[in-house]
Amino acid sequence: MQGVTKSYPNGRVALRGVDLTIAEGDFVFLVGPSGAGKSTVIRLLIRDELPTKGVVLLDGRDLGRLRRREVPRIRRKIGIVFQDFKLLPHKTVRDNVGFALEVTGARRREIDPAVERVLQVVGLTGQADQLPAQLSGGEQQRTAIARALVHNPRLFIADEPTGNLDPLISWEIIQLLLRINELGVTVLMATHNAEVVTAVRKRVVALEDGRVVRDEVGAAYHRED
Amino acid sequence: MIAFIAFSIRRAWQSFWRNGFMSLAATATMVLMLVLLSGLIILLTGLDATLNYVQQEVQVVAYLKDSATAQDVSRLEASLQGMPQVTQVSFVSKDQAYHDFLARHPDEADVINSLPTNPLPASLQINLRDPNDYLDVATFLNNQSPVDRVLNIKQTVDQMVTVIGILRAGGAVILVVVGLIVLFIIVNTIRLAVVSRADEIEIMRLVGASDAFIRWPFIFEGALVGLLGAAVTIGLLLVSQGPITSLLSDYFSVLPVEASATVGRNIALIVLGTGVGIGVLGSYLSVRSYLIR
Repeated sequence: MQGVTKSYPNGRVALRGVDLTIAEGDFVFLVGPSGAGKSTVIRLLIRDELPTKGVVLLDGRDLGRLRRREVPRIRRKIGIVFQDFKLLPHKTVRDNVGFALEVTGARRREIDPAVERVLQVVGLTGQADQLPAQLSGGEQQRTAIARALVHNPRLFIADEPTGNLDPLISWEIIQLLLRINELGVTVLMATHNAEVVTAVRKRVVALEDGRVVRDEVGAAYHRED
Repeated sequence: MIAFIAFSIRRAWQSFWRNGFMSLAATATMVLMLVLLSGLIILLTGLDATLNYVQQEVQVVAYLKDSATAQDVSRLEASLQGMPQVTQVSFVSKDQAYHDFLARHPDEADVINSLPTNPLPASLQINLRDPNDYLDVATFLNNQSPVDRVLNIKQTVDQMVTVIGILRAGGAVILVVVGLIVLFIIVNTIRLAVVSRADEIEIMRLVGASDAFIRWPFIFEGALVGLLGAAVTIGLLLVSQGPITSLLSDYFSVLPVEASATVGRNIALIVLGTGVGIGVLGSYLSVRSYLIR
């Protein structure tokens, strides 16, 4: 992101001149109080919004200059999970994950093995035929992670993935994200979970009032000096 | 491409049944609106038939001189029949006029019988294709030698033409207004059905589904709602066809109202076209608001 400013039609300015570069294979925590602009950064990255000023480059492509029909292709390079999981309640775990491939035009015979593979990565092979309502919160989030992984994304974005989970389960999810990162996928995680951020010691980018106020590698949730 | 269409239809079918309540609501609204629309069309068809009938009843009546010979009269008849404005010419002889008069005014029999000769003239009664041609034909007749005078009902005809025009325009306006209301209500109902699945659309966008993959299942689903709605409506109309026809012929027994197969087929086609068309349009518009960003 280069000199990115984003203001919304209602006049609220969410980001003010943000410069942020995330290298391939990086693991980045995006922290900051509510309303600091974390969600806006994510929305810009998946091109759900366009910057008011500045450019957002993903894999060298200017997201502001994409043609409409190129947008879905870019999104397939990004896996994303949210605090509220966003699973379809009437589909099984397997179908929820397969859905991501189905709606992007994949063939049946490609879908099944791909789904099995990611379910193995997140450790849900045994629950494949259950509905989301039968799962624990952690299992639901792992289903969402599996769905986000099924396209083999280059960038994995997690927006408060542990917000609805208890500490132990949160740790499982973080471990899973670290493993995904080890597989070579860039991970960006927006979070309020200070304990996790401080324990993992990865790069921390702190936003406050739409500005990057701190960008440290191997840092804690709070400033340590 | 075929795989894509199969996918869209399969998804449309699945989600129609999975969201049973919403689909039911949309289909029920569709049926209600289509019944309203087709009822209105049936009424307006009846009105139109009535107006056509009334228009055809506009006659130019030319009274003939008693001195006119049969030859003169038949020559005049022939030239009238050659006019494009004229659909039918009938000759009413003096005797016929006398009998008609008696039949219409039986109480006046004494009056007319007390006269030495039959005072009623022979006449030609000319049916017109279009009442607006009244003046043309009347002027033509006035200049013919066997014609004594032409009954002048120009003003009455003009008034009738105006009234018929207003009724027709009014019918068309009502049809358009009701059509728009129907469109609005159905589109809105389908919109509700789509909004209830906003999550699904959002997920599809997030995982990188192209617009076509998001849109077409909904469009097929809208078409399915339209198809089912139209089928139910046509079924209802078929069931009620008997009672409606007898009701119509009771009310309009004077009129040659044909509740014929053509009318039925036209209404069925309109119902089907409107149902599917609005279903598709409603889905298209509803999904579009989620796709444009």
